[in-house]
Amino acid sequence: MARISVRSAVAVVALALALTSGALVVGGGPGDDGAGRSTPAAVGPAAPLDGLRGGDLDRGVEALRTRLREQPKDFTSWATLGTAYVEQARTRGDPALYRAADRALDRSLELRPGYDAALAGRAAVAAARHDFRGALRHAEAALAENPYSERALATRIDALVELGRYGAASRAADEADERRPGVPVFTRYAYVRELRGDTASARRVLERALDGATAPGDVAYVATSLGQLAWRQGEYKAALRHCGAALRADSTYLPALECRARARAARGGTAAALAGLRDVVGRQPLPGPLVALGELYEAKGDLGRAREQYRLVDVWAALARANGVDPDLDTALAEADHGDRAEALRAARAEWERRRTVHTADALGWALHVNGRDEEALRYARRATATGFKEAAFRYHRGMIERAVGDEAAARGSLTSALRLNPGFSPVGAREAREALRSLGGDAS
Amino acid sequence: MTAHARSRQGRRGLAALVCGALAAGGLAAAGASALEPGSARASSHREAPLISGQPQYDNTDVYAFVSPDKPDTTTLVANWTPFEEPAGGPNFYPFPEDAQYDIHIDSDGDAQGDLLYRWTFDSKVKNGNTFLYNTGQVTSLDDPDLNFTQTYDIDLLKLKDQKVVSTKKLANDLPVAPSRVGDASMPDYKKLRDQAVRKVAGGGTSYVGQADDPFFLDLQVFDSLYGGDLSQVGDDTLKGYSVNSVALQVPTAEIRQSEKQPTVGVWSTTQRKNAKGGYTQVSRLGNPLVNELVVPLKDKDKFNASSPWNDADFLPYVQKPELPKLLEKVYGIKAPAEPRKDLVSVFLTGVKDLNQPPNVRPAEALRLNTSIKPSADPKRLGVLDGDTAGFPNGRRLADDVVDIELQAVAGELVGAKNDLGDAVDANDRAFGKAFPYLALPTSPTHAPAAKGGGDNTSMRGALGGGSEVRAPSSDGSGGSDAVLIASAAAGAAGVLLVGLGLAWWRARRRGAGGVL
Repeated sequence: MARISVRSAVAVVALALALTSGALVVGGGPGDDGAGRSTPAAVGPAAPLDGLRGGDLDRGVEALRTRLREQPKDFTSWATLGTAYVEQARTRGDPALYRAADRALDRSLELRPGYDAALAGRAAVAAARHDFRGALRHAEAALAENPYSERALATRIDALVELGRYGAASRAADEADERRPGVPVFTRYAYVRELRGDTASARRVLERALDGATAPGDVAYVATSLGQLAWRQGEYKAALRHCGAALRADSTYLPALECRARARAARGGTAAALAGLRDVVGRQPLPGPLVALGELYEAKGDLGRAREQYRLVDVWAALARANGVDPDLDTALAEADHGDRAEALRAARAEWERRRTVHTADALGWALHVNGRDEEALRYARRATATGFKEAAFRYHRGMIERAVGDEAAARGSLTSALRLNPGFSPVGAREAREALRSLGGDAS
Repeated sequence: MTAHARSRQGRRGLAALVCGALAAGGLAAAGASALEPGSARASSHREAPLISGQPQYDNTDVYAFVSPDKPDTTTLVANWTPFEEPAGGPNFYPFPEDAQYDIHIDSDGDAQGDLLYRWTFDSKVKNGNTFLYNTGQVTSLDDPDLNFTQTYDIDLLKLKDQKVVSTKKLANDLPVAPSRVGDASMPDYKKLRDQAVRKVAGGGTSYVGQADDPFFLDLQVFDSLYGGDLSQVGDDTLKGYSVNSVALQVPTAEIRQSEKQPTVGVWSTTQRKNAKGGYTQVSRLGNPLVNELVVPLKDKDKFNASSPWNDADFLPYVQKPELPKLLEKVYGIKAPAEPRKDLVSVFLTGVKDLNQPPNVRPAEALRLNTSIKPSADPKRLGVLDGDTAGFPNGRRLADDVVDIELQAVAGELVGAKNDLGDAVDANDRAFGKAFPYLALPTSPTHAPAAKGGGDNTSMRGALGGGSEVRAPSSDGSGGSDAVLIASAAAGAAGVLLVGLGLAWWRARRRGAGGVL
């Protein structure tokens, strides 16, 4: 059922592409073995230990599949392959690979029940699908078998963070750091610290991770994380420097391209930012960059083009629902601002019921607000800002809701701190925050 | 499709919407999968890496032998960063600045280190405006054209009851020999190697830098354990690959307890700086293949984090190993009776009257009887072939440890004669006659030509190999795949011993999972 609709979606997109520019469609539907094939844009260094770069990962996957044709009982390679598919899904944004990962991991566990690497792989797939309870369960099963499993330690932190259990996540991060220091754990450790407002520690740990990173994929990921962290603090020059480092390691790394474009936009380089974001959504039209691009157009008065981007977000959401997937928070927020508000509220509420995090609280608060339910919204907006996480969008949302309920002093404080923290958090949001501040008699310079 | 979605939009409507939106949005080259939702893309959910390539913390082998040309000294060698490719990026391989490489010496057999040699590293970039490894031809270690250089320190820590009682600096800021990046950049690499051999305090000699990986084996031998074709073996899987080596030759009197008790235990560990700022032990290695051969899958990471003092935890695995039962099944070699005291000797205590210290506490370490003179005619099978100067009495570069251990496990030492092996009997490159004995790394210039395009990025952006950068192989065939598999196996450690969770591979990777 889902498969049919995925196929049709693929066919539709292929048709659409044929109509637009005759662009080459890569990826295609999953084959019998479940793995989409693609031609890596640029083959990176061939060192077998380079884990994350598309080319190497593709080579590794090919090699593993070749091996497994020869040695189908090799349960360790099945587990490795399953995990590699999750990694590929991450770097390519191709969720068809999750099914392939499932099959490889199932095979591994059939051959070797209780094998910790396969359990850790299952945890990773579950997390990627947003089944964070399942991810936690599998990660804990893997750790019961092997308390030092790097992947299980890493995924356990992911799951606890996404379930909003920040205290437990922090303890899990400390334990992981003591057992398996390295890029996977450092990146998560930094995020846990950042969520609690400790940006200095987050930066320090990411810098440590960068010092030890040699694989281009690791460098790209960690440098981009540093760039995003800097951007959230309004440090755009530092953000550009880090994204530049990421792009030197991997010139095609989308999050770095997106981060660079956002930093350029924040510094007023609208033309370069537009070009950058167009490049990003041209490769992967994901809600986050689509909204950023739409808002940039909107901020400079090109409403027609802005609407085109917002419509693509709608398409994304519609496709997601057609596939039985609840659109993620990016999509819910985008819909709250630029699309189907009732649908945004439904999605945000559903997500809040599943997991109570600062992000789901923020999305629900904002969705309630755009649906005119401000008193209720305020509770969630306060919750979203309660951990000390330094995120301008949360403060902006809270300020707008405070204004709506008539708490002008609080609104001034929230809006001022949003603009002080990261004035470029959103071209449209920042403009609205300034207008609101002016109307409240605050200083919106 | 959910009922909800269907009621909102028929498929045709959706298609029209997609086409319209894409056309309007002017999306040029979105892949088909790009518009297939379901991947986690929320700003809240960061999909961070799970598979990370960090080979510089990966300790592959440790060697300890009486120096053949200087019998009053002992040579210690330990290697990290496996699979350094001559023809592929990143084409230089730095030593990590946030790690400690340690070699431990237990002089009295109590499973506690008495001496600890610790290597630490620093990097310098001469010209920060370029990402090149070298900016021209490098003819000496201090050549200004060598843009990226590293230095190392060696500290000697004396320990009592596992507490440091004194620290002595043996080497301070000595030069690391660079990665060999090709004949055009480094026309005489041997000269650079020679310049990097230095005297250190306390009468020792040191070398730190790249070297040909001295380990040799054909991984495929182990596939035979589940029906692979044995006629395929005989290729050195590690041929052409280099490692980062630390080698130190020290006066034997410095490390042994006394002339009467000349046997030392040797193992290496790697500590890595963690997020909190402390150090975590991420690797441990004594006898080759032990973590793979003897330790069950689920405990491999635990072994890497453990210390010899606690090795009683692992004793049952040595006394009642799974592997011989498998060998019996596959090769019909009858598994010897348990408990396997012979294997306890090889791996944990040393062999009586050869390399077993008095009152030894069983612990996994190489054990070298320093009073046994170097052999005039070294045998690759060492003690199994009557050459007591070789493995398991210490470990020399040329000892064929795969064959020795296979045969020992199958019962060679308890009368079950066999000639198991992988048909790779020697390294592809000859070892030197004098310190550091290691073969020179393969030059990219002489490596099989690489195919395919690449953009030669490497660490921190693109410190490429200057004029020597070569495109890595991208055809996914041949040797590299063997290595990919090997490395996957290494971490996962199970290729070889299906259903047993033992692996016939080396400490290539920690823990489960692999290397891709």
